[in-house]
Amino acid sequence: MGNFMEWLDRRFPATQVWNDHMAKYWTPKNFNFWYYFGVLSIVILVLQIVTGIFLTMHYKPDVTLAFASVEYIMRDVPWGWLIRYLHAIGASAFFVVIYLHMFRGLIYGSSREPRELVWLIGCVIYVALMAESFMGYLLPWGNMSYWGAQVIISLFDVIPYVGPALSEWIRGDFVVSDATLNRFFAFHVIAVPLILCVLVFLHIVALHKVGSLNPDGIEIKENKDKGGIPLDGIAFHPYYTVKDTVGVVVFFIIYLGVVFYWPEGGGVLLEKDNFTPANSLQTPPDIVPLWYFTPFYSILRASTADFLVVLGSLTAIAAIATPFIKTKRSNKIAAFVGYGVIAICLFIFDAKWWGVVMMAMAIVVMFLLPWLDKSPVKSIRYRSLPFKIAVTIFVLAFISLGYLGMHPVSALSTIQAQTCTVLYFAFFALMPFYTTWGKTKPVPERLT
Amino acid sequence: MSSNEESSNGDSTNENRSRRRFITGLTSAAWAVSAAYAAVPLVLSMTPSARARNAGAPVEFDFSKLQAGQMVKVEWRGMPVVVLRRTPAMMAGLDEVTELLADPDSADSVQPGYAQNPARADANKNEILVMLSVCTHLGCSPVEKLAVGPDPEMGEDSKGGFFCPCHGSKFDLAGRVYKNVPANKNMVIPPYQYLDENVILIGDDEARNA
Amino acid sequence: MKLSNSIKALLVALPILAVAPNTFAAGAESLVLDSVHIDSRDTESLQRGAELFVTYCLSCHSAQYMRYERLANDLDISLEKLSQEMMFTTDKPGDLMIAAMPEEDAKEWFGVAPPDLTLVSRLRKNDWLYTYLRGFYLDEASPNGWNNSVFENAAMPHALYELQGSQTLVGHIEHGVEGAGDAQAEPQQGQKLVGDAIFELQKAGTLSPTEFDTAMRDLVNFLSYLAEPAQLQRRAIGPWVMGWLVILFVVSYLLKKEYWRDVH
Repeated sequence: MGNFMEWLDRRFPATQVWNDHMAKYWTPKNFNFWYYFGVLSIVILVLQIVTGIFLTMHYKPDVTLAFASVEYIMRDVPWGWLIRYLHAIGASAFFVVIYLHMFRGLIYGSSREPRELVWLIGCVIYVALMAESFMGYLLPWGNMSYWGAQVIISLFDVIPYVGPALSEWIRGDFVVSDATLNRFFAFHVIAVPLILCVLVFLHIVALHKVGSLNPDGIEIKENKDKGGIPLDGIAFHPYYTVKDTVGVVVFFIIYLGVVFYWPEGGGVLLEKDNFTPANSLQTPPDIVPLWYFTPFYSILRASTADFLVVLGSLTAIAAIATPFIKTKRSNKIAAFVGYGVIAICLFIFDAKWWGVVMMAMAIVVMFLLPWLDKSPVKSIRYRSLPFKIAVTIFVLAFISLGYLGMHPVSALSTIQAQTCTVLYFAFFALMPFYTTWGKTKPVPERLT
Repeated sequence: MSSNEESSNGDSTNENRSRRRFITGLTSAAWAVSAAYAAVPLVLSMTPSARARNAGAPVEFDFSKLQAGQMVKVEWRGMPVVVLRRTPAMMAGLDEVTELLADPDSADSVQPGYAQNPARADANKNEILVMLSVCTHLGCSPVEKLAVGPDPEMGEDSKGGFFCPCHGSKFDLAGRVYKNVPANKNMVIPPYQYLDENVILIGDDEARNA
Repeated sequence: MKLSNSIKALLVALPILAVAPNTFAAGAESLVLDSVHIDSRDTESLQRGAELFVTYCLSCHSAQYMRYERLANDLDISLEKLSQEMMFTTDKPGDLMIAAMPEEDAKEWFGVAPPDLTLVSRLRKNDWLYTYLRGFYLDEASPNGWNNSVFENAAMPHALYELQGSQTLVGHIEHGVEGAGDAQAEPQQGQKLVGDAIFELQKAGTLSPTEFDTAMRDLVNFLSYLAEPAQLQRRAIGPWVMGWLVILFVVSYLLKKEYWRDVH
């Protein structure tokens, strides 16, 4: 064995990579509950790829065969039902884990300098994941699949001049059709998974360059022993590998519990209207996207003509307030350019356009988090009260948007969604201010 | 000194080390078993599905119109099955070639017990040959050479047989392989049974066991 | 832990937000449905349901993703009984359950092709099916003489007429504001409540009203099985999987404990 490793290490950095990323990768010793979700997302990624490979062996990307081939997997293929449930429910599990992972980054300041790139790559992974699941959702060719794709692709119509041509290009037809199904299959099984794997690799490379942060939000590298090992660091392997296995088992208990005892998830995980084949003549009566898209779907629906008045008023208030804010002149000029653009767009475009733009912006603002957060401390443990209140409101607004998006609109729910939309954007827009308000607690020298 | 090194030094008595080794072994074994179980559904999903098994169900064939010396190919599980009614001359030829065969008694070949005889057929109707026309070398379907007499492939003194165009394997009229050819086993006889005088069921011989 | 405070605040505030939208969520569908008890372990009920299905449904509706053989294996029906009583003579046991009637003919007779019923229980849900199957009534205004209290102007005539007999709609019990016009407080003697509709039996069928309800429960139970035969496997394997995971949790936790003794 020793000889073999010697032979190998002269030709391939096996021991070096193992040490740099596992056995001598020094990790803060105080990771808590929130630090399981990174490794869990990798577990699910592997699970989705493996089950996906086996589903691909039986699935037919053809509008005349697709729906029947899914039922064929559910019935005729030995254990096909299990593989299909693992994959379909795994998609939802992926988003549960990713949302909790992102929330961790938010409350412990994991995106802050020098980890901006880790956060940015993570945001791109999130967008790629949304594309992956959206295209995968078309493949069963159920009626909900069909109309979901129809609605989402139509969002591109609002782009001036090229929109209609672009959505036609995406579909490869005038409606969602065989061409669309076939290309979504290609993207879902090969193109996007490849991109995802590369991005996840980059995410980890970037993370290991700067090292993980921790619930105290302080750098363990600042206190090292004579050998250069952080005093509060422990080796990732074996300490976190064995700890993570416990988290993985708990995850599997919940996940397989759903797979074996509640696969439809009350109609949220597998929607009832997807148990009938796509029908281009009949939209399902209560069409909703899958739960992980509903917060953004709510923002899309919140944009009505009335809401644009609110948007205009808020912009005007911001414009009046801007001169009184203590900041560099260049920042103020940039802000006024922004208000100008919003004002012009309010004149040119209608509520539909704004809905799509706000939905897109809801995702774009996430990328800006590392630069919007001006707090002198990173972890929520030492932050001032305004930030804690803001995070609480944001989480409530996000969950409410998700809940509202799963149900048909009414006059009341539209107002609720509009309120939550304002709160959602306010969380990001006002972040540079409230993160500097109030008194932060003293940050400890060493991990607590 | 980092905290872990400090402490593991103080914790490295023999007893502690063996306990750690035991728990590591136990947990690794449990995870290995889990991985093995997780692989089972994936592996089994690649076995023939209910649709494939239905399509591969036993097939009936009425051979009443089959003349002596005539052969047809029937499809079973997507494979060609030869049904050949051999003439008395053909049957006699089987005994004459025994010396030239690799496995004349079908000891190393695949066939149901009731077909392990020189004719490789059910003793009640031993002139009827029911055989998978699949070469035991690499799976091509051999060409029938039913005529007795000189044949470019089967040789000057052919008693009739089957010749595989892929790699030149030769078989006699009972599907028994000749010596010195790439194939080393006789062609496979599938399970079959007679439903009545003239109808054969290929792929199922349950009635024989009943 | 400062974080736990904000989590507590979150947990308090969540129900408040969740309840508010509930007031309108119910407004979309206002059908009153009878709830049916589904039990995939009740093999006898499933067998009776399967017989009803092949006798009364399969002549027009297919179950095109289901194989007869699967049915026989899962529901303990002998292959002999299956091939003699339940299958069309030209079918093999491993064949899919395709309706006797060609789809074009059906379209001509009923205006629409009878939908495939393999997945109907997952699409419509069991309570809907249970109420629908018991909600056929005589209606002279309808082209085929029948109407349905759950699915108005259904194209399907009452296929189970010989079992249930024929009933007429007397009215609806009051619920909310709708149907208040012909509202009636509650069903009288000899009348029957299905969902929110009150029916009166005109001509008895071969089954009594109670027997008919039981038969429909069997049929819906079967349709529920038919929509997901794998549920039998799920429930059979589930406990073993969960049990094993608990063992795996225990040993993994012990290992974590063991190594983390090093960390102070």
